[in-house]
Amino acid sequence: MPTILGELAGVEARSKRYMELHVLTKIALPLFLSLSLPFARELHQALALALISALACAAAGVPLSALKKYLAVVVSMSAFIVLAFSLFTYIPGKVLYEVTLWRLQAEKGVFEWKIAITDASLRYSTAFILRIFAMILSATLLLASVTDRDLVWGLFSLRMPFGVCVAASLFFRGIHLFVSDFHTIREAMIARGVDFERTPLARRFMLYANALIPLLSLMITRSYEVSLALESRGISPGSRSASGYYTYKMGRSDYAITAAGVGLMLAFAAWGWLT
Amino acid sequence: MASETQAREEAPRRKVTWMHIVTFAFATAISYVLAVVSSLIFPVLGAPGVSALYIAAAIYVPLGIWMGMWGCLAGYISCFFLGLYPSGYSPVQSFVWSWADFIEALVPALIYKGLKAELDFTVKRPRAAKLLPLFISTGTILLLLGVVVQVLWGATFGEPFTTIYVALVYIGTALAAAGIILGLLAGNPRTWAAQILSVIGASFCSGIWGAGTLTIFNFPPPLPAELFWPVFVGWVVGDLIVLSVISTALLMALTPVFKRTGLLVKGWWA
Repeated sequence: MPTILGELAGVEARSKRYMELHVLTKIALPLFLSLSLPFARELHQALALALISALACAAAGVPLSALKKYLAVVVSMSAFIVLAFSLFTYIPGKVLYEVTLWRLQAEKGVFEWKIAITDASLRYSTAFILRIFAMILSATLLLASVTDRDLVWGLFSLRMPFGVCVAASLFFRGIHLFVSDFHTIREAMIARGVDFERTPLARRFMLYANALIPLLSLMITRSYEVSLALESRGISPGSRSASGYYTYKMGRSDYAITAAGVGLMLAFAAWGWLT
Repeated sequence: MASETQAREEAPRRKVTWMHIVTFAFATAISYVLAVVSSLIFPVLGAPGVSALYIAAAIYVPLGIWMGMWGCLAGYISCFFLGLYPSGYSPVQSFVWSWADFIEALVPALIYKGLKAELDFTVKRPRAAKLLPLFISTGTILLLLGVVVQVLWGATFGEPFTTIYVALVYIGTALAAAGIILGLLAGNPRTWAAQILSVIGASFCSGIWGAGTLTIFNFPPPLPAELFWPVFVGWVVGDLIVLSVISTALLMALTPVFKRTGLLVKGWWA
């Protein structure tokens, strides 16, 4: 069964032992990593958290090459952060580079817009960028190790109503159904004479926007069919499963990993509080 | 009053059906795919998950008007997954940030219920209905830019920023007022007034929460606080365009379908 990130981007945790862990453990570890983020304010703290997140990913068998999928995110956020600390604000420190972009004599003083790079702004920027790595790695660890079946069976084992379990399952199936419906509608539009390659961008945008109407109509038709099927089997949204086919049990390694996650968060909280 | 109470007693109690749940699940999936596509094709650079044309809003905002809380939940869950992938926010950051889309669907639902506006999008003057999104979105964007100029520079430096602020606010207000008049002429005045208020209210409320949780308050905010205004402006402008153009068109086209299929909810869930 592919994981959520496996279905979306082809990246999965390869460690068999990690994948056999209880679903709650697989959710808890990234959760505690992300709960440690607020305490990693300084450069060395952010670096430590990014390294621990990378180690957790490596231990779970998540290939660190998965970061390539987030390359655009990392580059654009890093550039934006550096710009924020050099273009939109001035952080006092040793000035490394300064240039005035615009100077205007206003009514109540001189308005100046300048790029000012100081050692403090570079330090802040690096800490922010390292935190981005930590947050991306924690999100990757979660999505690359949890399968949609994990979530659905996990909900069953928590004795959640069928309505919740079916909705979770249909959400993941719905992504593929939507993409296939979109291709059908696009082909229908092409068959009626629309040339997407020669159409200008603005017109193409409006064509795609118009395609939302048949897409939603198809969604309603499909919802009707699925809900009829569920009703004809006598399943009501509020009923709960009497017994699960699969029972999830927390093992020793589950408790150990969850405890390590809690310990990590407490350690970062103490470190953040002391500095 | 007595007959009203009697009618309420006689009306069968509406229940959540599979149709509500299944439609919600599919709508969430569609919103997620559209959210990913729009944040990749029209990004607000440096703020992953924020799009200058967030087309997903055109799905869950009308869904909030048609199906109440189901639309709000569709917005929340699609945004939560968008936060995780491809935006790369941590699960906790994404949990906090995603309320922006919940709010975006909730505000129109509240406005429609508060104004007791009927979902009657019959158009009496098609030209007025066509011009309405243009006037409303341009007017509100100019107003927003005027306020940003005043807050950031006008208050501190005075002239010439104050003049720019005044000019933008006057032009923006005039255009928005023209848009409101066009809306009242387009069809059922109460419905269109609710729609205009919804477009503006949803964009601003979700923009404040969304840009705020990305830059000012989160665990921790992924971006520096100095980026609040660029992200906020990008967010609101994108939502204004999408909600006034696409979402209004979807409401006009699909409201009869939702009424026919019994998907329209009277309360919040059923």
